[in-house]
Amino acid sequence: MRSFVPITIDATWIAVDITTVKEIGGPLTWIALPTASAALPGVTAWRGRAIAVVDLASLLGAGQRLTSPTGRGRTLYLQQGTSTLAVPVDAVREPVMVPDENVRLPRARNEAFCTGELDVEGHTTLVVDLGVLLEGHRPAAASAPH
Amino acid sequence: MVHVHDPRVRWSVQASQVLQIVAADEWPAAPAVDVFAALAPAPHPGADARRVVIVRGAGGRETALVASGPISVADVDAGDVLPLPVELTRTALAISAIIVAPDASLSLLLDPLAIATPDAALREEPCPSRS
Repeated sequence: MRSFVPITIDATWIAVDITTVKEIGGPLTWIALPTASAALPGVTAWRGRAIAVVDLASLLGAGQRLTSPTGRGRTLYLQQGTSTLAVPVDAVREPVMVPDENVRLPRARNEAFCTGELDVEGHTTLVVDLGVLLEGHRPAAASAPH
Repeated sequence: MVHVHDPRVRWSVQASQVLQIVAADEWPAAPAVDVFAALAPAPHPGADARRVVIVRGAGGRETALVASGPISVADVDAGDVLPLPVELTRTALAISAIIVAPDASLSLLLDPLAIATPDAALREEPCPSRS
């Protein structure tokens, strides 16, 4: 069995692994960075640390992009390895437990962070792993300079 | 800390790194750098005439930063300065931290040593070949 927290952005249903969820909070105040990526457009303060803000709407092409300084109605704080991420969303649903075999490969998405698909309350729900997203954003000591 | 209340984003720089603050048209040297140009064009100066904040940049060069908005000077507790997380340091080279104000609003702390200036880019760019 696997457990997920379903979330929505506009009409898009998304699920994250419940073991990554550290906190579910209210609206977020964040600040945009001038040369940030669309996926990680800015930063916020959480528990005495600065953490990256993820714009799932931009990543998935679902709904309006975040606009600093406000987020969405709710915020998921996710732990991905040593990184903590703030993910503004419109709504957070009741966690669900599903058998492994009910998590299928995503049919309409092929991005690396889209790891599966399941049905929640009759909605096709995309499983995302934001840890995959971070791999391209961490400093790579071995990468050659441009 | 010197704080610039730019309508695009509030930013700050350590007061010890600021050499002077002057009206933009009184700065005769290289063009001022607009660190936040990628967010939006600098707003037209209104009641606050546009000024530049002169900081000591990389290589000891004086670097002028476009300051669009009111400027204030205020102490900041060290605990309110939060370094950027590693996943953002690659894309936000000129920003070293965020500052949390007492009202929980945020400001970006600039690192003058990491600001790319147009004249520095020209110096580093190889000469085009003439074939």
